[in-house]
Formats: sequence, C-alpha cells, structure tokens
Amino acid sequence: MYNMVTILASFTAPIHIGTNPTAMLWMFPLLASVAIVYKATRMRVIFPLRFAKEVIILFATMSILMILAGIGLYFLVTILTS
Amino acid sequence: MAKRSDMDHSLLIVVVAILAWLIPGAGHIFIKERKRGIIIFAAVTLTFLAGIYIGSIGVIDPVNSRPWYFGQMLTSPLVAIIGSATKSGDYIVYARPHDYGQIYTAVAGGLNLLCILNAMYMAHSGRGQLIGEEEEEDV
Repeated sequence: MYNMVTILASFTAPIHIGTNPTAMLWMFPLLASVAIVYKATRMRVIFPLRFAKEVIILFATMSILMILAGIGLYFLVTILTS
Repeated sequence: MAKRSDMDHSLLIVVVAILAWLIPGAGHIFIKERKRGIIIFAAVTLTFLAGIYIGSIGVIDPVNSRPWYFGQMLTSPLVAIIGSATKSGDYIVYARPHDYGQIYTAVAGGLNLLCILNAMYMAHSGRGQLIGEEEEEDV
C-alpha cells in the first residue's frame, strides 16, 4: 500500500530537468515511441525480429536527422546572433 | 439483407474506433490483431505515463492549455478524469518539465489517433489475424 501511494505521489510533482544540453536526451524515448507505434501500424504482419529490426532502423534514422537538424539550427542561430 | 450487412460493417468500424480511443490498442485486439494491439497499448500508455511523470499531472490543464488538452484527450477519454482533478489549478508546473510533459502526453495522443485510424482501416478492409497466418506460412 505504501509503495502504491509513493508511485502515485511521484505523478503529482514534476521531476527536475536542467537547462543544459543533456536535457535534449529526453527526445530519444519519444523518438523510440514514435518508431514503435509507426512500425506497428505500417507493417502488414508483425514478425518480432523483423519488427525489431525495422524499429531500430527508423529510430536511428530519425535520431540522426534530429541531431543534424539541431546542429544546423545551432549554426544558424550562431550566425544570426553574432 | 445487403443493407443490414452494410450496417453491421459500419457498426463494427464505429465499435473499433470507440474501443481504440477508450484503451489504446483495444481496437486492434478486437479485430484479432493481438500482437499489434499489445505493442500499441504498451508504447502509447508508456509515452503518456512518461509525460505525466516528467511534468506531473499538472501538464493536463483543460483551463490554461486547451489546445494541448485536446491532443492529450486523443490518448483516451479517461484523461478527462485527470483533467477534472487539475482544473482547480492545484498542480501548476513551469519551465522544461511542463514543456516536455506536454509534448510527451500530446504526442501519445497523436500516436493513438494514428492507431485509431489504422484500426478503423483494418476493420473496414477485413484484415485480421487470418491474413497474418496465411502470410506467415508463405515466409
């Protein structure tokens, strides 16, 4: 009972997220979720191994694109504000 | 007779849509796409729970963040229960936890909308476990 109350209480107060670049790491669980759900709806038949492989490929692709977009925006902002 | 069949078909699509909205993945499970339904349930529910863990239940704010609330409501109508608890303003949250929590919960809603439409399409086209088994034999 105590554990249940503790778990529920953890949903009533926000966690601490700093304003440093590591905060950007929070995008990866979201990308993983998007990749899983997208592939779950797109694959005609779910074969566990093929599904896992396709999810990993999509997750890696989205992650690389997001990182490239972040680098591009960083340089754009640096140029515009210098 | 044909009319009745059309009505049954439409009713099936509506039932699948309602189930898929009530519980993420339930629409797929209803049309015998169990694996797909379980994956969707786990992914959408965990994304939503991660959102309210990051930003607390305060990120579900039907008063001050109405557009986000509509997105969050796509996860399940049960979100309204949390909304009724937070509309008093007792769970105010600021800054990054607020933003991240809102993004996670609203993306969970968006993903569930995709799953609802997918389940409706599958119900409409008559796809289910049988097709999967046939293809599994071919591989």
